[in-house]
Amino acid sequence: MMNRKKIRFFLAMVGMVAMALTLISCSREVSPAANHTQTAASSPSPTPTTSALQAPDQLMEEDLGIVPVSIYIPAIGVDATIEEVGTMENGQMGVPQNIDGVGWFEPGTKPGARGNAVMAGHVDSLTGPAVFYKLDRLKAGDEVVLKDKDGVTRTFIVTGTASYPRKDAPLEDIFGFSYQSHLNLITCTGEFNKEAKTHEERLVVYTELQK
Amino acid sequence: MKMKKYFVAVPLSLALLLPTAGLASASDHSHGGGTMTTMTAGAAETSNKAVDLRAALDSLLSEHAYLAVIAMQKGIDGKGDFDAAAGALLQNADDLSKAVASVYGEDGGAAFKEIWTSHIGYFVDYVKATGAKDDAAKKKALADLDDYRVKQAAFLDTATGGRLKAKELEEGLKVHINQLVWAFDNYVAGDFDKTYDSLRESIHHMYGVGKGLSWAITDQFPDQFDSKTVDTPAAELRASLNHLFSEHAALAILAMQKGIDGAKDFNASAAALNENTDELSAAIASVYGKEGGEAFKKIWSSHIGYFVDYVKATGAKDDAAKAKAIADLDKYRAEQAAFLDTATEGRLKAADMEAGLKMHVDELLKAFNSYTEMDYSMTYPTVREAYAHMYEVGLGVTSAIVDQFPDQFAGKMPTEMPQTGMGGMSHQKSSTSDILMISLLIMAMAVLIPFFIARRNASKS
Repeated sequence: MMNRKKIRFFLAMVGMVAMALTLISCSREVSPAANHTQTAASSPSPTPTTSALQAPDQLMEEDLGIVPVSIYIPAIGVDATIEEVGTMENGQMGVPQNIDGVGWFEPGTKPGARGNAVMAGHVDSLTGPAVFYKLDRLKAGDEVVLKDKDGVTRTFIVTGTASYPRKDAPLEDIFGFSYQSHLNLITCTGEFNKEAKTHEERLVVYTELQK
Repeated sequence: MKMKKYFVAVPLSLALLLPTAGLASASDHSHGGGTMTTMTAGAAETSNKAVDLRAALDSLLSEHAYLAVIAMQKGIDGKGDFDAAAGALLQNADDLSKAVASVYGEDGGAAFKEIWTSHIGYFVDYVKATGAKDDAAKKKALADLDDYRVKQAAFLDTATGGRLKAKELEEGLKVHINQLVWAFDNYVAGDFDKTYDSLRESIHHMYGVGKGLSWAITDQFPDQFDSKTVDTPAAELRASLNHLFSEHAALAILAMQKGIDGAKDFNASAAALNENTDELSAAIASVYGKEGGEAFKKIWSSHIGYFVDYVKATGAKDDAAKAKAIADLDKYRAEQAAFLDTATEGRLKAADMEAGLKMHVDELLKAFNSYTEMDYSMTYPTVREAYAHMYEVGLGVTSAIVDQFPDQFAGKMPTEMPQTGMGGMSHQKSSTSDILMISLLIMAMAVLIPFFIARRNASKS
């Protein structure tokens, strides 16, 4: 929710600061039932300031989304920093500048929050392997650990992998909403098309948040 | 699982269950000045089958939370309108079950209704047990609510083909139950700030549920929803405005009741309404800037003040003051309508706005007057109308904003996968390595050709 500031009186708005209103508005606004014997105004502070009640644990849904700065995939020896990427002019998801970095699709879901968070890394450079060269070796059950700048971690577990023709991937499933918290890792795979200067397929490793 | 057979029915559009929007989509209107920008397909749609489904579920689910908290308060206080409030809550359950049936068939709707109404019954048990100071009965009610969570979660997991996971749903339902119990326990204990914080949270929570459920249904039956998604920037804005506008109506009605009753929780209920105003103004400011937000807040707050005047005049049996409050509300309508017309550059027409605002004002007065006259069978259907009406306002304002600022609602999803390889490790080598390969081939041939020639010559001789 946005601003949850507690303003105690009814008409506490008309361009005044809340502090001033706290003092002023009793006279007019707070006692609509002025003719009643038991009015709100005649009992200015009926509420105890603290409650003896014990608040239950799950009173709000926790937002588990983080802004990731690093990614660690022990099964394939990936330990990389994260760059934020967006959508390019041609509609493609952006890629990290650094060949050994991983790009998080920042306009999308924060990893850990409900929905599909997406990251992409290069499989190779012009001359050799890049950060996600071994991404295709991940198998169900492998861990992917993300960390934010404060060291808060979110661990995701691989649930499956799939390859799609580069122009025919299920974008809604990969980038769209989901009630569960997913992290989908993308890299290139398949034959390299020299004319298009890109691989013919995209590999997606699907993971879900470990709770 | 037995319930599985329910879920083969052909889904219908849930939007059929809701009244059609009174405020026509702003994109139908011609604009005074400014060029019309063509919306990109899908992403910037304020209304389509998927987004309408989300709004329909948001409306019923959030109204459930509100009515549940109210009915529990009325119940413990032994108020005369308890039956009518509880009746509205059950009417909401009926509507929700019909919505479920429209997707999962009559049997699915009936199965849902049985489970869903059971939890309303357990809350009633909890209220009764609290009134009787019967701790054992309270514990029993909470245990029943725990059992309910498991059944409800299993139902939705099965219905959505596992798109909603039972484990996560159980957690979500736990939050819902805790919020309602917390709002109630604090009401009984006299800690009204916590009561109303929890009421607001319980309403807010339901928008996450509405999004999740509508996402699952539209993902499950894409053909029935034109393959549209519930998750777009325009859909998010619509949900936010629906939330804040409908909560305004809900809290205003409640504060007016608490006001005329001289209830101890009046201040807290009014404070909750003020928080809503702050958030609504912040939402307006996020679109029209700080000054726009402040101007909106001043006008919007004035009408809350006039309702307060009306409540006070009613309490004082002062007909002249009541007439003055009504006249002030009329002036407010014109001012608010002009503001929206100007802000949206004519996308929302002042005349349409005045008509819509008249409906809002009339509904709130009708709900209040019938309450003071103890005509509760009139009060609560009016509460429900007033609540649903605000979803039309939410749609109208969202349509105008999205049409006015299309760039901000263009959608964030890429249209193509990233280009994450340069070919250095590919089987087909890059141009530099091609040269190397060809060189190797030539060298090999230079060795092999003389070898074969030599062999051929040898075999000949």
